Amino acid sequence: MKIKNANDGALTNFEVLSFLQSRGASKEVAATVAPSEYKVFQYLVDTTVDKQTKESVSDLLGKVKKYDLAKAEVLNIINLRPTSAVGIYTIVEKCDARLGEEGAQDLADIVAEVSPPPEEPRSEEGLPQANDV
Amino acid sequence: MFNLSLIEHTLRLPPHLLSLSLDKAVKHDLEKLFLDKVIANLGLCVSVYDIRKIDGGFIFPGDGAPTYTVECRLLVFRPFVGEIIDAKLKEFDKDGLRLSMGFFDDIYIPFHLLPYPSRFEPDSENGNRFRWIWEYQVNGENEDDQTSATVYPIDEIGETIRFRVQSVNYPSIPLEQPKDSKPFAPMVITGSLDNDGLGPLSWWE
Repeated sequence: MKIKNANDGALTNFEVLSFLQSRGASKEVAATVAPSEYKVFQYLVDTTVDKQTKESVSDLLGKVKKYDLAKAEVLNIINLRPTSAVGIYTIVEKCDARLGEEGAQDLADIVAEVSPPPEEPRSEEGLPQANDV
Repeated sequence: MFNLSLIEHTLRLPPHLLSLSLDKAVKHDLEKLFLDKVIANLGLCVSVYDIRKIDGGFIFPGDGAPTYTVECRLLVFRPFVGEIIDAKLKEFDKDGLRLSMGFFDDIYIPFHLLPYPSRFEPDSENGNRFRWIWEYQVNGENEDDQTSATVYPIDEIGETIRFRVQSVNYPSIPLEQPKDSKPFAPMVITGSLDNDGLGPLSWWE
């Protein structure tokens, strides 16, 4: 085996998920894809990537352009979709100097506005709701 | 987190696959060869993304199968240093945490990369099982005020934890393994929690 180009482009989690779906991975039938692919599929479905669409991702790409972020940072934002300033702060290096506190909050608002929210917060999954009687 | 890697591979196509079309047969063989395996310095191979070129088909003298040179792209899991990733807590002990992403389990957070100051102590409410505690000091406005500390525990197995990739290592295969050591891991990710926004997601809600 010869490695010709170790880095022939990075993929967002969303792209990987749609690739695996096009290969036939779905929650119901596991048999059509290899076990390794299915495990990755499960991880991606569990994370918030599930509700993204092609439009929302390219919309987000266009809107974050003005912040002059590194490619890796944009990739990370698309993968994690941080909707709070602290989430942005974690991803963007030297956030205070480059964006400032307001910039981080603005960016978080943009992410929240563009990406459709997950149906329910993950932390409450599986737990009985306190309000349900 | 996921990357494409272009590789070239020479493979011998076993005759029992010759009833399939060449594309399918080659893909079948590549998948058997690479899927769910770690290639040193490339990452964990998840899937064969596409096949670019199939050359050759030469049958070597005395061999009962054609040999092809294939150029294909693999979908590999290879996080970059500094990337922020969510994973689930798998286990923890006095040396730190171990996280799992479902398809990849060798993510370690050593204790010196936990948020400072952290300690490992028995949990009195929970039958004295050990747990990790991050003690966050809130300084009072006046100097006379006592500093109050908020305690954040890490003790729930399966909890989603956000970490930053500190390094990705590919240890070489040991010649001899001690009997009671943990199984050899060909790819190890070291993560850090020592920054704002990292740690269990519940801390930052």
